[in-house]
Amino acid sequence: MKKKIGVYICHCGGNISDYVDIEKVKAAVKDEAHVYLLKNTMFACSDSSQKEMEEDIKTSELDAIVVASCSPKLHVPTFRGVTSRAGLNPYNYVQVNIREQSSWAHSDDPTGATEKAILLVKAGIARASESQALTSLKIATTNAVAIIGAGVGGLRSAIALADMGTEVYLIEKENNIGGHVADYGALFTSDIQGKELIASLQTELKKRSCIKLFTHAEIIDKKGSIGNFDIKVQTGNEIPPLHIGAFIMNTGFDNYEPKEGEYSYGLFDSVITISRFNKLVDQSNGKFIYNDREIHTIAYIYCVGSRQDLEGENKYCSRYCCTAAIHTSIQVKKKFKNITNLHYNRGIRTYGKQELLYDESSRNDDIYMQFSLDNIPQVKQKGNKTIITVKDILSAGKEIEAEVDLIVLVTGMIPRKNENLVHQFKLPVGRDHFFNEIHMKLRPVETVIDGVLIAGTCQSPKNILETINSSMAAAAKANSILTKGEISLEPTLAMVNPAACLICDQCFKACQFDAILETVYENRKVAKINSSNCKGCGMCTPVCPTDAIDLAGFTNAQIEGMIDALVD
Amino acid sequence: MNTILPANNEQDKITDFDVLVIGAGIAGEESSLKLADMGFRVLLIEKEPSIGGKMILLSKVFPTLDCAACITTPKVSETARHPNITLLTLTETESIVKEDNGLFSATLNKHPRYVIEKDCTGCQECERVCPVITEDQFQFNLVARKAVYIPFNIANPRIALIDIENCILCGLCEHKCPSACIDFSQKEEIIQVKVKSVIVATGFKLFDPALIPRYGYGKFKNVITSMQMERELAPTRPFNNILRPSDGKTPGKIAYIFCTGSRDQTCGNSICSQVCCMYSTKQAQLLMGALPMADITMYYINIRAFGKGFNEFYMQAQDMGAHYIKGKVASVSEKENGDLILRYEDIVTGKVTESEHDLVVLSVGLLANPAIIQVFKNTTLELDASNYIKQPDLMQSPAVTSIEGVFVAGTATAPMDIPDTIMSAGAAAAETSGYLKQLS
Repeated sequence: MKKKIGVYICHCGGNISDYVDIEKVKAAVKDEAHVYLLKNTMFACSDSSQKEMEEDIKTSELDAIVVASCSPKLHVPTFRGVTSRAGLNPYNYVQVNIREQSSWAHSDDPTGATEKAILLVKAGIARASESQALTSLKIATTNAVAIIGAGVGGLRSAIALADMGTEVYLIEKENNIGGHVADYGALFTSDIQGKELIASLQTELKKRSCIKLFTHAEIIDKKGSIGNFDIKVQTGNEIPPLHIGAFIMNTGFDNYEPKEGEYSYGLFDSVITISRFNKLVDQSNGKFIYNDREIHTIAYIYCVGSRQDLEGENKYCSRYCCTAAIHTSIQVKKKFKNITNLHYNRGIRTYGKQELLYDESSRNDDIYMQFSLDNIPQVKQKGNKTIITVKDILSAGKEIEAEVDLIVLVTGMIPRKNENLVHQFKLPVGRDHFFNEIHMKLRPVETVIDGVLIAGTCQSPKNILETINSSMAAAAKANSILTKGEISLEPTLAMVNPAACLICDQCFKACQFDAILETVYENRKVAKINSSNCKGCGMCTPVCPTDAIDLAGFTNAQIEGMIDALVD
Repeated sequence: MNTILPANNEQDKITDFDVLVIGAGIAGEESSLKLADMGFRVLLIEKEPSIGGKMILLSKVFPTLDCAACITTPKVSETARHPNITLLTLTETESIVKEDNGLFSATLNKHPRYVIEKDCTGCQECERVCPVITEDQFQFNLVARKAVYIPFNIANPRIALIDIENCILCGLCEHKCPSACIDFSQKEEIIQVKVKSVIVATGFKLFDPALIPRYGYGKFKNVITSMQMERELAPTRPFNNILRPSDGKTPGKIAYIFCTGSRDQTCGNSICSQVCCMYSTKQAQLLMGALPMADITMYYINIRAFGKGFNEFYMQAQDMGAHYIKGKVASVSEKENGDLILRYEDIVTGKVTESEHDLVVLSVGLLANPAIIQVFKNTTLELDASNYIKQPDLMQSPAVTSIEGVFVAGTATAPMDIPDTIMSAGAAAAETSGYLKQLS
């Protein structure tokens, strides 16, 4: 039982204190048993607050602390650091979330938010008073990474990891490497050829003996946790099981395939997608011929498959297509004579330096017309002519009709169907069906699954430069985890009281991770926890009929104390 | 002189480092942390008195509406505390010379704080007695500060410094300071270090809207910049409310002028700043929360809502009631009561129109910050056509610069948002680590 608890209530600079009455919370919890010190702070996470807590722990000899601020997802490592530096066991610290769970959830009801915050803090104090010191397990890790997908991003991750001294298994499900980019011609904004970029990366790959490439391959089995995963890879040849420390998902995107009839796609030969068009441009020389006709006037319809507004459609912007289409249209004008480019767009998004391409295209006399979703361009055929009509926002809604030789649908990126991987890894998928990172702003390549990183377009649409940056960032993250050779594991594991165990099979059934073994105690069989497999999920504790299993950090005594405080 | 550089957790004298990181905004922090975690010894220098760059001064971030201070402070303290990172604030690079053996010899200038760093407790007693009142640059001049001051509430290190330009040397702070840490005798300190590699993470500059006189910034009090609005909305805000500067009135009809200093050849910046559409949209959402009765009008050219969750966020702002008008504002004029008249071409109607607002926010763009190239003495750090650090191998190795062993991270390469900056800084760390491994 902890008897000198320090309680810190954070304003979060108004995020909490604008709705939760901090003084009321303080008044309500000040007489709780074992509260020795009670403070409020503008930002508990700021360096000065952290130093103050360290001083408090030392000078008042606190034996536990409670921080009532934001989600434990954000700051548990921060305050564990505070306790460790002050010489207090980090598991004698309890985080209470009065931001996401009180002030943000009940911003319409400050009184209710305050009452809820009071109960949550009381429960946190109860949990802290029953807290026990725990010691992290240190386990050795393997400095090897499996990269799933050998597109431009996967190749670059592999090279970066190899250069940092990490072994790489590069696993590609197709027979060839390079993904989409291997088929691309000139790339914006550097004008180097996609195939040359891939060839150059392939040359670099071959120079590095610590990269093993498997094509036509996929992972069929995966076990273990961060630092030590065992995987089986299926390919044409027999491959021994691989032992790795982390994964980088670099599984890429698919092109949106227009529905039949979408802007007359599939109905008229003159309506094609941008990827088909790019290949056509690439393969044509001299005259630009399509279906035995020389092409002079090209209409580009933007946002096909992106920025849609119906339920179940793609609400997101695909990011790269505006620039890609403009870049292509510039190439076409350079390569062939008498070309007229008509751009039917929904607001051009050539962000950053890509704006220079939009400038160039506008100076080239390309014509830009803008439409809204309620007035999309209409495509018709008159004889062998293709006619496109639009109400152009840029000319005050005037209806403009044009006869064109070719209509190019600027299609967006869609998330790959990766059901097997999602199932195998329990990968988090967002509303847009791309993989979700753990924190969108500051941890864009990490996921909630320790040791599983995401990079490139499987996380969200990106251009090549952005894909390379994220792939190298994932490589840096993986290497920084594995290069030390050891990692600390959470000590919040299940434990069996053998005297109480009657060895029924309930916990064996409940455990998803094969973490329960049999052992012998006083000449009878009892259950035992395999700590390297236990994830501390707590599934086994409630099913035990004799309460013989407890979860460190979330013991029955702690949980019961919390419930008492909440219903008091 | 050769100087003692105490690392965060040790008192060894160190003058050799694996990498010198210039700039301790989020890019410099991220690169430093990754390399330090890999076991490299990092010297991180920052010319400002606090680390955290621009992000630590922001209100919330798009499109998650996370509080910027809440998510960035852990990274800031982790940086300041990492055993492999030596951090120097108020420090600038004087020169970097590449030697024949491939190492870099860097001369740094640590400006005097006039406060003994290790003794200051951040109690702010000195601020209370200082008689000088001057503009607070960290609140973008919305309010004043003293000549001895802590940069801002969540600064790191959270210790005082004296702005000697404005100090009248009255000595009141010196008498008041309970830990006797005011020291007017401090001088500039020249520090020589040897490093194996350099990461340039010098960030961006904000466009100065006084360069577009027709918008009236600096002349009309109620024309403010988006960074000033950012401060008004921040948790560490100067007022506890949204006010307009001329009379302290709560604004009811707010206008945003997008692309101020971006996509505009007349002010020398043709490119798009990549973040202004979204930060303006974010501010509009926050303002609609803070001032439910206010009308908010966004005058834009194109909306660049391209990143993950951005388009959805833009749709949400419209659903909440923000009014988006496609049209470039030609000029702003002021009425006697401080209200402002905007003259613009409404593209949808095709008409030139005027409208009245009681506060105008200029969505200022990001500019390149190329001054750092001058410190490279016997090598040339090249710039691209937009004055950002040139990336000669853009598609394969975006962190590589024109000098072998010198890498670049974040908005020193181009305008970008926070996640793109973090990824670019991660890429720079990977590139630097690979380079260092191959040296050894």
